[in-house]
Amino acid sequence: MIAGLGMTDLGKVYGRTPADFAAEAVRLAAGDAGLRLADIDGLLTSSGVTGGVSVDLQRDLGLTDLRLLSHMQSYGSTAAAMVQVASLAVMSGTASVVACVFADSPLQPERGAGAVYGTRRAPAGWWGLLGASGVIGANPMYALAARRHMDRYGTTTEQFGHIAVAQRSWAALNPAAQLREPITLAGHQASRWIVDPFRLLDCCLVSNGGIAVIVTTAERAASLAQPPVHVLGWAQSHPGHYLRRQPDFGLVTGAATAGPAALEMAGVTLADVDVVQLYDCYTFTVLVTLEDYGFCEKGEGGPFAASGVLGPGGKLLLNTGGGQLSGYYMWGMTPLSEAVIQARGQGGDRQAAAHDVVLVSGNGGVLDHHATLVLGSGAGAS
Amino acid sequence: MTVGPVERDAATAEFFDATAAGSFLLRRCPAGHFSEPPAAQCTTCASRSLRWEAARGGATLVSWAVAWARPAGGGEPQPTVLVIGELDEGPWWWSQLVDADPANLAVGQRLRIEFRRAGEEHESVPVFARA
Repeated sequence: MIAGLGMTDLGKVYGRTPADFAAEAVRLAAGDAGLRLADIDGLLTSSGVTGGVSVDLQRDLGLTDLRLLSHMQSYGSTAAAMVQVASLAVMSGTASVVACVFADSPLQPERGAGAVYGTRRAPAGWWGLLGASGVIGANPMYALAARRHMDRYGTTTEQFGHIAVAQRSWAALNPAAQLREPITLAGHQASRWIVDPFRLLDCCLVSNGGIAVIVTTAERAASLAQPPVHVLGWAQSHPGHYLRRQPDFGLVTGAATAGPAALEMAGVTLADVDVVQLYDCYTFTVLVTLEDYGFCEKGEGGPFAASGVLGPGGKLLLNTGGGQLSGYYMWGMTPLSEAVIQARGQGGDRQAAAHDVVLVSGNGGVLDHHATLVLGSGAGAS
Repeated sequence: MTVGPVERDAATAEFFDATAAGSFLLRRCPAGHFSEPPAAQCTTCASRSLRWEAARGGATLVSWAVAWARPAGGGEPQPTVLVIGELDEGPWWWSQLVDADPANLAVGQRLRIEFRRAGEEHESVPVFARA
């Protein structure tokens, strides 16, 4: 059960360290659940591009006699993976109240967001060679993946644009979103190239902040402050071909195996899913994940995205908080946090009417790491 | 954009010795499988007995992207074509495609490996050119 959610101020919040954000997020999550910090007996930490979060968070929070403590890192799939480990821990009795936290603080005043992720260049060795060749950061790697999909299936930049426009429309309904001004498909097409085929509006935000969730047993959750969110199913998939020949690169991701496995564990099918929160470092990532989960046939993600099913009022309630494209960029905590809010029924103006089953994805590396969670509101769940 | 500076380390010393001489080294196991240059074990059979072997230099375009960035001195953004090339021996390699027209690229185009360096004092970097 997910019994607590803590979100610090997110976005251009300057002058604070990742460790500071992480500690605040855990305090907020405990308070949200109606727990004291001292009730926490398990802690899983994770960090972003700037690092700075570690098992030292135990000391910062004054937590004593923990029964589970570890730092986890599988990039954008970490948040969902932490919930899996925490769920196993409470099911086995290893721990009873496990806090899972991510925090990052890459933004600095007077420094462009792109500079944070775009100019890391190792000076030596194989990584230095990759950078010296011009392949610097995630943008070109994902662009190469997306181009492969476009070449194979005829996917277009306009189809990517439909995803960006729909998510901005959702962000307009989310007070926590960083970018809430409406955009149009024409505006997407007019936005500048970052790495063709990605325009500016195909790329996620960069945010400072921290988010934590509290995982506990069903018995414990029943007496706490928030509507408990059931963790019904999970699965991971790590194909393991990073910077190697991979015939599926850009075409099929780990979501194709993890998605069905998580749904099977939950005892539900795609038809039962009410709300979908997909990791969206780029518009393309959403498109390929929709295909891999089976919302449409392989190769049909572009026409599906452009068919009018997305956005408020659409048939597919996808990335209802604006996602990482328009909401906030907290790696896998972005889809997870919005999934918890929706499953609880606390989404305000953007709340889905039906929210019994919520599907969540995490994606890390360059489509190298995938984790799926199936969450439930408890209605109809065991 | 031209290539950037890069320094050798222990793992890349032999590779850069070869690029300086105009050769792109792959790893090859006793069974004959080729692996990409950074491989610590054969990507096909997990053999640890790898030796260096020069690629013939031919490749095929797997995917491309066009990075737009302003020059260090300012001015209009300039394009750099980045590609994945599948070497004729099998492994993939990520680098830029020099002298390319971004409007005239297609998966499956034939490429060849060339070499560029950021300056006389820097290591020679493999790039792709159209064959």
